[in-house]
Amino acid sequence: MECTTRLENGFTVIALCGEVDLHFSPKAREIILKHLQDKNHVLVDLSDVTYIDSSGVASLVEGFQHARTHDLKFALLGVSKAAMQILQLSRLDKVFPIITHAAEADQL
Amino acid sequence: MSQPATLEQLKPSDLPSPPQAALQILRACSRDDVSSSVLSVLAEKDPVMTAELLRVVNTPFFGLSRKVQSLNHAVTILGQRTLRNLVLCLSVRDAIGKDAIPGFDTATYWEDSLRRAVSAKLLAPQLRQDPDDCFTAGLLQDFGLLVLFYLRPEMASYWEELRGLDPDARYEAEQRYFGHNHTGMISLLADAWGLPEELGRVLGSHHNCEILEPAVGSNENHPSLCRILYCADWMNAIFSTPDKSFVLTHTQQLLQEHCGMEEDEISTCLNTLAEEMEAAARSLGLHIETQPDIEQIMRQANAKLAEANLSYQELTWKLEQTLKERDALAAELEKELQLAREIQESLLPRELSDDFPITGLNVSALQLSGDFYDYFVLKDGRIYFNLADVSGKGVYAALLMAKTSSLFHCLGKHIHKPDKLLAHINNELCETAIRGMFVTMIAGIYDPQSGSVKMVNAGNPPALLFSPGNKVQAIEATASPLGILSDSSFPLAAEIHLREKDCLYLFSDGATEGYLQEGGEMLGLSGLLKLIMSMHKLAPKDQLRAIVEKFSAASATLHDDITIMLIEGKTPHA
Repeated sequence: MECTTRLENGFTVIALCGEVDLHFSPKAREIILKHLQDKNHVLVDLSDVTYIDSSGVASLVEGFQHARTHDLKFALLGVSKAAMQILQLSRLDKVFPIITHAAEADQL
Repeated sequence: MSQPATLEQLKPSDLPSPPQAALQILRACSRDDVSSSVLSVLAEKDPVMTAELLRVVNTPFFGLSRKVQSLNHAVTILGQRTLRNLVLCLSVRDAIGKDAIPGFDTATYWEDSLRRAVSAKLLAPQLRQDPDDCFTAGLLQDFGLLVLFYLRPEMASYWEELRGLDPDARYEAEQRYFGHNHTGMISLLADAWGLPEELGRVLGSHHNCEILEPAVGSNENHPSLCRILYCADWMNAIFSTPDKSFVLTHTQQLLQEHCGMEEDEISTCLNTLAEEMEAAARSLGLHIETQPDIEQIMRQANAKLAEANLSYQELTWKLEQTLKERDALAAELEKELQLAREIQESLLPRELSDDFPITGLNVSALQLSGDFYDYFVLKDGRIYFNLADVSGKGVYAALLMAKTSSLFHCLGKHIHKPDKLLAHINNELCETAIRGMFVTMIAGIYDPQSGSVKMVNAGNPPALLFSPGNKVQAIEATASPLGILSDSSFPLAAEIHLREKDCLYLFSDGATEGYLQEGGEMLGLSGLLKLIMSMHKLAPKDQLRAIVEKFSAASATLHDDITIMLIEGKTPHA
């Protein structure tokens, strides 16, 4: 599992890939929070995520909560089928803003 | 002389050269047919050398019974080989004058060389070698290093550092500092001076004797001479290097291995060294300092060895202590975790009567669980139940589990509407939210009289209702998990009615995301469905145990906590 970061449409896009589990979640959390603490609007790209467990989802929740309290924008981008199933099952797809393309971030 | 720009551009004429007469004798000696009178004639061409040769052969070092008056006589008595050795020793001694390398401590160089020569001579009988040959080779073996300094006088200040290294380390350091080493240089010199080929090969290879090993059945003796020179180099290092304990131990090993010497023979050999050196120095006209006492050196080395041994013992002791401390801490931690586990288990409901309609089972992946379940009977006979899963695993999940289960158990006694109860718990959790942790939960109220189940599924995998005739209904999540957004609503799922033989299963995602085979695929909802159906006829407790055992059997450790609850319908069908 690796993270890559890019700038797109005024957002920092953090792309996670592979399995976001108990082993990798702390790393994902650290990167997401770092960019939010730097006052960046963040999109977390989940298009290459093959599995995400509850600790991985917690990293996303923390980012989401941090963004809300600090008036920053936060959304999930291009959520893979595997990740979407997990989010839908727990109805978290109703909690996170989810977009398909970075261009849609303007609407957030 | 003018130094070559680099050692690669070296010409034979750049090398130090012995007097012409000495060179002629050395070259003549390499022929078998030369007569002693021819050699003496050659030597007498150089009266200074002749006088020096006669002085040397008459010193006690040669042990001749009567004084030799003429060179012809000396050659006759000593033979061609000894004369050659003698001329060679004097040539080496005089080839580079004591002030030829400014800033270079020639005295210590010659002291070391003489010690190698005497050591080689003392070792000669051990490998049946000629002592004079060994002495001469010993005197010559590191002459290449002096030549290197002669060609690169600006490096003179490095001599002290090189001298302090053991022979192997010094050999590598020469290569680094000069880009050459003394064996390569002595090989060049052996060619230029016309030394016998065998001697040249030994001198050029004494740090790599294996390449000289003779073919099986061969009588060549230069591998033995080579080993003697290598050992002699280490014997000198006992005196010239500061790390005496290592060098002494290593030299003793080498002498045992290469020369087959016992401990007492080695000790005698080292004790004789100083006296022999003084005699050789007088004979060759070299000045050496008073030799250090070998007994004292050995005492120093042994003391250092004992000190190192003590440090090692101390280190071992410290390691043992650290391991004991680690084990004690691990045991303490284990005890703490065990206690925490007991407290956690106490938060789970007590088993009620056998005909109680709800059964639950929780198995944790780690010592502590992030899952929990609960049920308790309200005054009106209805039963409040829940099953929940905290995100993540381990201690931090267990702490949030304790908080959430306590909130449920306490508030549930007063708030008899699951949707309202979960909204309260959610707000409490959101107030202290940390690290994005959240809780998925199914909570509801079951009325065994009417069979009514009113429940909320907050982000948990669906509950499965099994009815006779293999009818299955899934009760999906109606709300997102608790602890994410305050003031969220938790709408009730459509009310269901459990009839006799209906079974409502609740489970955490550890069951759907579990594996029945190591390295196999996740079970998934349909896989769990099949598993439940295969166990359906067992009694409730046995069913749950059998299901969990399927996961436990698949691998040594569970991937996630697994919690399952079964609610049975008791109301007769209408």
